[in-house]
Parts: sequence; structure tokens; C-alpha cells
Amino acid sequence: MKLRDLVVIRLGVIINLVIGQVVAALLLPLFLDAVGTILVAALVGPWAAITVGLVSQVLNAVLSGNFSWLPFGVIQVIIALYAWLAARVGAFRRPWTAAPAGLVLGVIAGSTAAPIAYHLFGGATAGGVMAVTTALRAVGMPLELAVRISSVSTDMLDKTVAFVMVSLILRALPNQLRARFPAHA
Amino acid sequence: MIGYVAGRSWLHRAHPYTPLALAAAVLLLSFAFHTPVPVWLMVAAALIMALATGTIREVLGPALLLATPTWLVLLVLHGLLGEPPKAPFGPFLLSEPGVARALVLGGRIGAIVIAFLAALATVSPARLVDGMTARGIPFGPIFLLVSTLTFLPRTRERAARILEAQQARGLRIGGSPLARFRALVPLVLPLVLGALAEVDEQVLALETRGATSGVRRTPLDPPADPAGQRVLRLGLVVVVVVAWAARLTNRI
Repeated sequence: MKLRDLVVIRLGVIINLVIGQVVAALLLPLFLDAVGTILVAALVGPWAAITVGLVSQVLNAVLSGNFSWLPFGVIQVIIALYAWLAARVGAFRRPWTAAPAGLVLGVIAGSTAAPIAYHLFGGATAGGVMAVTTALRAVGMPLELAVRISSVSTDMLDKTVAFVMVSLILRALPNQLRARFPAHA
Repeated sequence: MIGYVAGRSWLHRAHPYTPLALAAAVLLLSFAFHTPVPVWLMVAAALIMALATGTIREVLGPALLLATPTWLVLLVLHGLLGEPPKAPFGPFLLSEPGVARALVLGGRIGAIVIAFLAALATVSPARLVDGMTARGIPFGPIFLLVSTLTFLPRTRERAARILEAQQARGLRIGGSPLARFRALVPLVLPLVLGALAEVDEQVLALETRGATSGVRRTPLDPPADPAGQRVLRLGLVVVVVVAWAARLTNRI
């Protein structure tokens, strides 16, 4: 791996970890913990993006102390590969093409996360998802279905916003900077 | 949450891989067991690890902070709202299979959180880097783990400064969810574009320090890795493999 790729990967990991702070300041019901992974997939390629996703997952565990969420690392791999394919077909060229692509990723990522959340954690995962699961279970929905619905619905919103965000970042890149990322140019 | 806590315990002096291997073994064994007793034995093992390192006071507070909300939700989802048969417990009717499942899931989370917090408290980042370098781990992985943690506070400060600057220019971060969504773009865009613009400068700085030389680095004072510790780590691998083989063949 080239030194430049390493520096961009570090940037992607930092974006993943810091945007959560901005989202928390705005009290938004999102995670946005994969913006860096998606951005690096579009700018550099799939392997760099997978590295961003996995390193983010490990460092998030180191910083929060909660290592029980490491199994969700597989979702970051799916996000990286999907975002790379989306970039290859030009989904990030406009926010209104990025939004539906993000929505589809939300369905895929949420559907993959749901069995992990159900079988390994019994549906007790993170803030917003956990609240939706508990509310759906309280109205009598079977737990497995409640976990699936809460996971997919929150991921659809989250990944749509993340894709639109990355599209806006790529569109705002000055030409001089854009030319330094051949995968995107 | 919790970082390295200086100390003189055996695990503090051990090779950094040893406490990390112990924590990883607790994680993998916790997922291998699916009945309450062995899972809570893992919690006991993690507590003994924290006690042995003299970091139990530093570990227990953050561990309870992390695990308690999950335990409460598990109790509601599986105990109160779980499947019959139900048994009275004080003023509540709790699902018997639900409580057993909540005990397994909650125990796993408790064991993993306590074991890793104890490992983080005993592993000095500098010794870990020396240990990895001595083992011939390439520059890339070490750079990603250590440099990212060094850079993170700086980027967080920058995010806070951008937030203040945009607020001074009239950006409102309150109001309806839609208004707060709109505020996301003027905060994230300058942060990411500013960081991307600095990439070349950082590459140059690393090149001048010989990061791309490809020569194997030699740490000045690498941590010792006695045979006993290597055997212990190998033993942990064997225990984990046996436990998972037993789990996959339905013997436990």
C-alpha cells in the first residue's frame, strides 16, 4: 500500500470517528459512522475503504471500551464494497442519484446487521435502534421482526444521508484536489 | 473512556500481546457458551483479570456505565416482554426462558467489556508499538493504529472550532430535525475538505522521516516475550478452538 493511501485511510478513519461528534452536537437520530469509509471507497478504492471500515470499528471499540460490537465490522466491509461499486457507476455525481443508492445500501446493511443484533445481542444494541426495537416489541411484534424493522429503517435513513453527504463533498472538491485522486477523477 | 493505567502487576510487565490475548480469549469463549453458568464464569474470569492487574476500580465504573443500559434493555425485551412460561418476580411477571437468554447475552457483554477495559488499562501504547515493531509488523498497520489515535483529538478540536465559527456566522443548530439536517452540511464540508487538502503535506512529512524506506525498524527497548507467555498464548488458542469445536458439534 502506498504512503499516500495510508494517509487517506487515516483521514477516512478520523472522519468516521469525528462526524459522530458533529451529529451528536446537532442531536440528530443518526450514526453517520461510515462517511469516511464511503468517501475513501470513491476516492481510492475498495481495499482502502475496507481497511478504513475495519480500523474504525477497532478504534471505536478502543475509544468507547465496548468491544462487544466488533462483530458489526462485517457491515463496514459491505459498505466499502457497495460504495466502491456505486462510485464506479457514477452514483455520487448528483445528490439525487446518491440518495437512492444510499437507500439501497441501508436495506442491505440493515438486513445484514439485524441477524447479528438478534442472535448475538438479543436486539439490545445502540441507542436509536434499541429504542425502536423496544417500542415495536412493546406493541406485540415478535422480537426478530422488531429487530429487523428497526435495523433496516434506521440504516436506510443513515446511509441515505451518508451517501448524499459524500456526494456533496465530492462535488465541492476543487479541481486541483480532485486531480490528485485518480480513482475519482 | 479508559486508557493505560500505570502499574506494576504481572500483566503490566508482560508482553503487550499477553493481556490482549487474554481479553480476546474471553470474547471468543463468551460467544462459544450459550448457557448462563459458563458465560458468568467468563465474567468472573474477566473480574479476576482486572483484580490481578490492580485496575479493578478504574475498570468497574466504565464497565458498569457501558453494560447497565444494555442489561436493562435485555431485561425488558426478554424478561418482561419475553415468551411464556412466566413466573412472578416481585411485582413483575418475568419470562423464564427470556431471563435465561438475558443472563447469557448480558453476561457476554459484561465479560467482554470488563476483559478489554482491563487489557487497555495494562497495555502501554508505546510498549505495544515496540512489541509490534520487534515482531516485524509492517509500518502501515502500526501507523494506522497509533497515528490515528494521535490525530483524533486535533481533528475533534477542529470540528469544535468549525462549529463555533459557523454559529458566529449565524448558523442555527437547534430547531426542527430538518433544520438540524441542513446544519450538517456547513459543518462537515469544511472539516473534510480541509483535511483532504492537507493529505499531500502529511505524505511529504512522512517521506522525509523515512516511512517508505522499507527497512525493518529496530525498537530501542522491546518488551521481553518469555517462553512461558508464548506457551500461555498458545494455550489460549487451543482452549478457544476446543470450545468452539464443542459448540459447533453441540457438545456444550
